[in-house]
Amino acid sequence: MVLVLALGDLHIPHRASDLPAKFKAMLVPGKIQHIICTGNLCIKEVHDYLKSLCPDLHITRGEYDEDARYPETKTLTIGQFKLGLCHGHQVIPWGDLDSLAMLQRQLDVDILVTGHTHQFKAYKHEGGVVINPGSATGAHSSITYEVNPSFVLMDIDGLRVVVYVYELIDGEVKVDKIDFKKTATSAAAAAH
Amino acid sequence: MRLREDARSLIFTNLCSMLGTFFLGLGSVYIKSKEAPAKDILKDLVEMCRGIQHPVRGLFLRNYLCQISRDKLPDIGSEYGGDGDSINDAVEFVLQNFTEMNKLWVRMHHQGPIREKEKREKERSELRDLVGKNLHVLSQIDGVDLDMYRDTVLPRALEQVVNCKDDLAQHYLMDCIIQVFPDEYHLQTLETLLGACPQLQPNVDIKMVLSQLMDRLSNYAASSTEVLPEFLQVGAFAKLSNAIGKVIDSQPEMPVFGSITLYVSLLTFTLRVHPDRLDYVDQVLAACVKKLSCLPRIEDKKATKQIVALLSAPIEKYNDIDTALKLSNYPRVMDHLDNATNKVMAVVIIQSIMKNNTYISTSDKVDALFELIKGLIRDMEDTDDEELDEDDFKEEQNSVARLIHMLYNDDPEEMLKIIYAVRKHILLGGHKRLVFTVPPLVFSALKLVRRLHCQEGDVIGEDVPATPKKIFQLLHQTVEALSVVPSPELALRLYLQCAEAANDCDLEPVAYAFFTQAFVLYEEEVADSKAQVTAIHLIIGTLQRMNIFGVENRDTLTHKATGYSAKLLKKPDQCRAVYACSHLFWVDDQDGIKDGERVLLCLKRALRIANAAQQMANVTRGSSGPVTLFVEILNKYIYFFEKGNPQITSSAIQGLIELIMTEMQSDNSLSEPSMDAFFSSTLRYIQFQKQKGGVMGEKYEPVKV
Amino acid sequence: MNYLIGAFKPPCHIKIIFADAKTRKQVSIKKENGQTTMVPLFQSQETIGGEVSIEPLPGKKVEHIGVKIELLGQIELYFDRGNFYDFTSLVRELDIPGEIYERKAYPFEFSTVEMPYESYNGVNVRLRYILKVTISRNYVSNIVEYQEFCVRNYTPTPTINNSIKMEVGIEDCLHIEFEYNKSKYNLKDVIIGKIYFLLVRIKIKNMELEIRRRESTGSGPNTYVETETLAKFELMDGAPVRGESIPIRLFLSPYELTPTYRNINNKFSVKYYLNLVLVDEEDRRYFKQQEITVFRLLENQ
Repeated sequence: MVLVLALGDLHIPHRASDLPAKFKAMLVPGKIQHIICTGNLCIKEVHDYLKSLCPDLHITRGEYDEDARYPETKTLTIGQFKLGLCHGHQVIPWGDLDSLAMLQRQLDVDILVTGHTHQFKAYKHEGGVVINPGSATGAHSSITYEVNPSFVLMDIDGLRVVVYVYELIDGEVKVDKIDFKKTATSAAAAAH
Repeated sequence: MRLREDARSLIFTNLCSMLGTFFLGLGSVYIKSKEAPAKDILKDLVEMCRGIQHPVRGLFLRNYLCQISRDKLPDIGSEYGGDGDSINDAVEFVLQNFTEMNKLWVRMHHQGPIREKEKREKERSELRDLVGKNLHVLSQIDGVDLDMYRDTVLPRALEQVVNCKDDLAQHYLMDCIIQVFPDEYHLQTLETLLGACPQLQPNVDIKMVLSQLMDRLSNYAASSTEVLPEFLQVGAFAKLSNAIGKVIDSQPEMPVFGSITLYVSLLTFTLRVHPDRLDYVDQVLAACVKKLSCLPRIEDKKATKQIVALLSAPIEKYNDIDTALKLSNYPRVMDHLDNATNKVMAVVIIQSIMKNNTYISTSDKVDALFELIKGLIRDMEDTDDEELDEDDFKEEQNSVARLIHMLYNDDPEEMLKIIYAVRKHILLGGHKRLVFTVPPLVFSALKLVRRLHCQEGDVIGEDVPATPKKIFQLLHQTVEALSVVPSPELALRLYLQCAEAANDCDLEPVAYAFFTQAFVLYEEEVADSKAQVTAIHLIIGTLQRMNIFGVENRDTLTHKATGYSAKLLKKPDQCRAVYACSHLFWVDDQDGIKDGERVLLCLKRALRIANAAQQMANVTRGSSGPVTLFVEILNKYIYFFEKGNPQITSSAIQGLIELIMTEMQSDNSLSEPSMDAFFSSTLRYIQFQKQKGGVMGEKYEPVKV
Repeated sequence: MNYLIGAFKPPCHIKIIFADAKTRKQVSIKKENGQTTMVPLFQSQETIGGEVSIEPLPGKKVEHIGVKIELLGQIELYFDRGNFYDFTSLVRELDIPGEIYERKAYPFEFSTVEMPYESYNGVNVRLRYILKVTISRNYVSNIVEYQEFCVRNYTPTPTINNSIKMEVGIEDCLHIEFEYNKSKYNLKDVIIGKIYFLLVRIKIKNMELEIRRRESTGSGPNTYVETETLAKFELMDGAPVRGESIPIRLFLSPYELTPTYRNINNKFSVKYYLNLVLVDEEDRRYFKQQEITVFRLLENQ
């Protein structure tokens, strides 16, 4: 069992002063094995904070990130799953599922994690999953009105991944769960 | 009779040797035998101890006397007599012993060779508890009630303390008095106790003494709410405040740090005892300002630290910067800090706001707050730029940026005032700071726009102060300030954000103006090719979402965007930007633009660029990158095919698939696993769609994979 | 040998028994051989009476030309040892010449005897009272027996008893003022006083109070003066500062004092002094001596 924290679009300090205290209280060092961050942190302090939660930190570049060294896309394999990471401002139209599907095919991943829209989304799509963890700070977005702070925790266990979505609605943390099993065919495809 | 005489004679005969202690023991036995009134014997004993003028021996002897007589003092309920008079006797006895011991102790300082002075002082310091024990004994006598303490014990003890004129003794004994007697006594005798302070030697660390006292009193006040009226009744604050003033006046030699420490203690006391009296707190700060204003800018590290403590105390107490903002003297104290510390303090204030999630809700408070943290907001006089550490600077400015989100009011009108206020302050910050401070301000304003927009339905007339238009005007100027910094990339992004917000508000000219600004920046300022790529993506992405532009405006903008795309430095970037532009002509919603022809034009143009790239790659025998471009374009074809663009036909898709297959099999291209995977998963997708059947399956029917 | 010793032994036992021997208070005195013995205590104007018993050894008889008893007050000066000067001498005839064959008792009485001086055992002088029984014989030496007794005389509390107060000093070094509460002390008295330091420029180590006895005997060129320190009492340890006042409490009872004797029968005097000694850190001694009068107060008074 591996826990992967996926989050992005914090936009600190441009659009938010900090992560919600309730999230900070939940995110403690030592529990999470990997962090994948879609980008727009935007400053080093946030990077350092994430690093303190878990040293295995993967970040792609958002358009506001001061650190230009983050890659545009990144893939990594965790257990039986291949994960793809991209901020998403490069995929036009923004947040468009069919366009993201193309990116998923291009990166050839089981799970594609992107951000930019600040809206939490998780789709099963063509035998894979497309996830947008939303904005961890609930940052203002021109694309999405009423942004609630959210992040995603993936519990990867063998061929199964359980995606937990934590969303802060009116001061309360709500958790949602999406179950995804990799089929033999998609597994074969991954092995291809 | 006979025995008594002998015992007494024995006691006195040998008093002078250290063996005297043994015979004092006899004296105590003698008191126990109750043959003579305890008071007589004690009186004799304490008197006879004068025979020992050798300080150390005398101290020990008297200490012994103090010890053995402890349980024999006539006291209320004691078996050795306890009426009013005898308590007086007991007190008298201990006081006298105390006085004599202190004299001996002080004398140590003056006796003996000068070269051993240091050693002697150390020795003295070790002996201090012998003297202090007397006070402790006094505090243990039940008969010493408040009256006795106020009328006899305290005045006598203080008399001795003041008159001995010895630094060490004064400090220790004052401390001792404060520690051993009950807090309620101190409270009731504050005047007397404090009256002694200015009379102490200049080198005595009065601040420690007073701090101790105030700490004790604050703890006492905290112990129970029932005692608070006592504090009010005796006017504790006024007395303490007065005393501190006197001490500081009477000791011009006292280092600044000392005086400030005193104020810190007083402030701590005030905050704990009178948390509701903000005026007291301000008074303390005022007194401190008065003291500081006669001095040059503080350089002393210790003093600075104390000022920081002074300033931090109210923030910590009230957990609410709002309260601190009401203290008129607060910023005046801050003015006396050196620049670096001023900044540290400002950061502390900001952190407090963050930690407590305090929203600053009026423009007046915002002004006050920015006055407090001005060290971060703008360059201070005589700042040496060289000294600034870049990382520190970044951190500071980021904290200011974070702070801006805490300046908030639900009322749009006030919020706009706040934004104006913030803008006024941050524009003073100079180019170095704007990069940090403008974005949060812009987003703060955009949030307000969003709020106003959502409230629509109210009549928005010209005379309503907070209109989106006004805000956009402000935004325009603000972002412009950033663009001349120059920080064109950031400014471009913000313009695009504004444009989109204007779009939401149906303000076409405004949106157009923002786009124009963004384009100007792109053309004139964004030079780096990588930055250009990102900028183009953002321009296209934003433009794609705009729905208010009339045909003409829209054409102008899309034309430019496609033009920029085709002019990117690298072919693959060109190609991708151009095919992205195809989305500008096909917006997949109900009344979005659907110009299939121009979509196809874009895709064909992308293909041409991919071809060119392919040829270049062949020439250079470089990587097989360009084939990926074909697959990407194929995916775009599939996209529009599925969206029902009549210009995209199954045969075109078929042709593209074959083209890619040919390219992949050509000897010139190296096989690349990721590319293979991309292509095969695309094919698999087509297969999947074919198999799905229905409308989509039929559509794909002609495509052979 | 036994025979010889027997030949020199007195042929009888003589005992002098005081009439109230069982009830009278006894005190110890030092004999010539250094041993102490208990003897009855009298004071002047008392009547001294009792019984002398003479018991010849078995089978012997005592032939005499008269028996008498004398009460003698004697002063012995040690430079003239063995030579007693009798300042008091009273005689009672006990028997007319004759022979004593068996135990015979003679009562005696000296009524209201004037005994102006106290028994005293000093360094160079001794004053004693004895009863002396003499059996006078012809041709052979007289048989003599002594019985010593002690005399103490009591003085009433003096009506005038001023304190001793004095300021002394060494210029610019040390000025002190001392005070003893009285000038006349009884034997069980306590000396109360204080020393007040007016100026202290020397480093004092300690301060003592000594009681000294000065015994002078003889007169003119043959005067012998003997001084003894009977008590050394440390008043103060360490150096005082100016303004310090050191108390004195000296109990006299532990010391073997006698009353002050002034010019006893023109033979001797015994006087007492208080000697205040200050010792500095270099062991230099500064002192001031003051005479006090010691007297004997009737104990149950």
